[in-house]
Amino acid sequence: MDTTTNVRHPAARRRIPPFAYGILVIAVFAGVVGIGMASGTFQTSGRTTAGGERVAPQGDSVAEIKGWMAVGDVAAAWSVPVPDILAAFDLPADTPPATALKDLESDLFSVTALRDWLAVRGTGAP
Amino acid sequence: MTRQPIVIIDGPASRPPGKAAIRRPRRGIAALRGVQGFRRAVQVTVALYIAWVVVDRAVVAAAGAMGASPESICPFGGIETIVTFLTAGVFVPHVHSSNLVLAVAVLALAFLARGAFCGWICPLGFLQDLAAGLSAFVQRNIPAAFRGMRALRRWAAPLAVLDRPLRYLKYAVLAWAIWGAAVFGVMVFRDVDPWIALLDIGRESIGFGVVVLALTLVGALFVDRPWCRYACPLGAANGLVARFSPVRLERSAAACVDCNLCTRSCPMGLAVATATAITSADCIGCLECVEACPRDGALELRIGLPFGNRA
Repeated sequence: MDTTTNVRHPAARRRIPPFAYGILVIAVFAGVVGIGMASGTFQTSGRTTAGGERVAPQGDSVAEIKGWMAVGDVAAAWSVPVPDILAAFDLPADTPPATALKDLESDLFSVTALRDWLAVRGTGAP
Repeated sequence: MTRQPIVIIDGPASRPPGKAAIRRPRRGIAALRGVQGFRRAVQVTVALYIAWVVVDRAVVAAAGAMGASPESICPFGGIETIVTFLTAGVFVPHVHSSNLVLAVAVLALAFLARGAFCGWICPLGFLQDLAAGLSAFVQRNIPAAFRGMRALRRWAAPLAVLDRPLRYLKYAVLAWAIWGAAVFGVMVFRDVDPWIALLDIGRESIGFGVVVLALTLVGALFVDRPWCRYACPLGAANGLVARFSPVRLERSAAACVDCNLCTRSCPMGLAVATATAITSADCIGCLECVEACPRDGALELRIGLPFGNRA
């Protein structure tokens, strides 16, 4: 008989009752999520603040651009004419400014592409 | 002085056989009286919560108001965005801080309780369990279905050699999803993700994710938890962390009666009956094997040092 696999440290012998395991599962998962909620980290939407106020783009960083934002709001925050954005990504010129960015996504346009474009434009690069 | 470990020899001499300890496994509804009832209750509760979020979102969106995105409760989003978050401090589109918190919760659970998220909480895993339960119910009550499934199993038996290599596919999916998000700044896995398809089922047009979801559920009629076994990147991340877990199932060869019920009951197809310790990254901690075991003490959850007593 191979006894090498049966050499155990005393701590390795501690049994966990199945129900205690289930309680551990719930406690760990709910505990981490609960800590996230209590600390205000658990944000399920970028559209509103923890106080429930609507988030608007400020033009400080391209990282704040989200898919739910309207192309017009982004254009205003970054002081870029809406037609320039539409033309840069071959989007229809008659696109309403209130259209959400995510509704414009295609092979040619994405939120990430817009972020990159605005970042390059902000540095003055051609 | 070095402390010597205690040597315990698992053999017939160390534990006398006790026939009274062998009990008949509970089946059907009776099985829900044990820890499986507890697990199913947790799964149903989580699934109902997810259903509520999806319906609530659909109602809120229909009313033109703003609400939480169903995708914000997907733990894998937090893992996909990990590179962009650590390097640039930003989330890829469709990811919120809640995704990151959930990812931490899942990985903490993986360390402390192995794959318990998959076995106890994940609604996609629960849906696959339901499909497998439906398949078993139909086979029990319709003889033709039973015979058909038996014939199908015989016909597909040679394909069993593919099981092991295909299990590595989920690690490739995990690498692709994280790499894609880091390089392209978008969730490349999102379009094929059945979980996202499920969360967005009330508002998205039918995409490839819905097709993957349908294939997963149809596949679960024939193979237990096919998505978890072969393709789930969250399960892959779970498994990688679980390798460091101090918790594992251990099988006592002395108490085992070699009935093979544990292996037959394992939804992940693990060979529990021939292992000494179940340290597989694929173990989802469902405890189906423990529940099926007819011999008290033959199969138990134990806590010890990580990497110890591997089988």
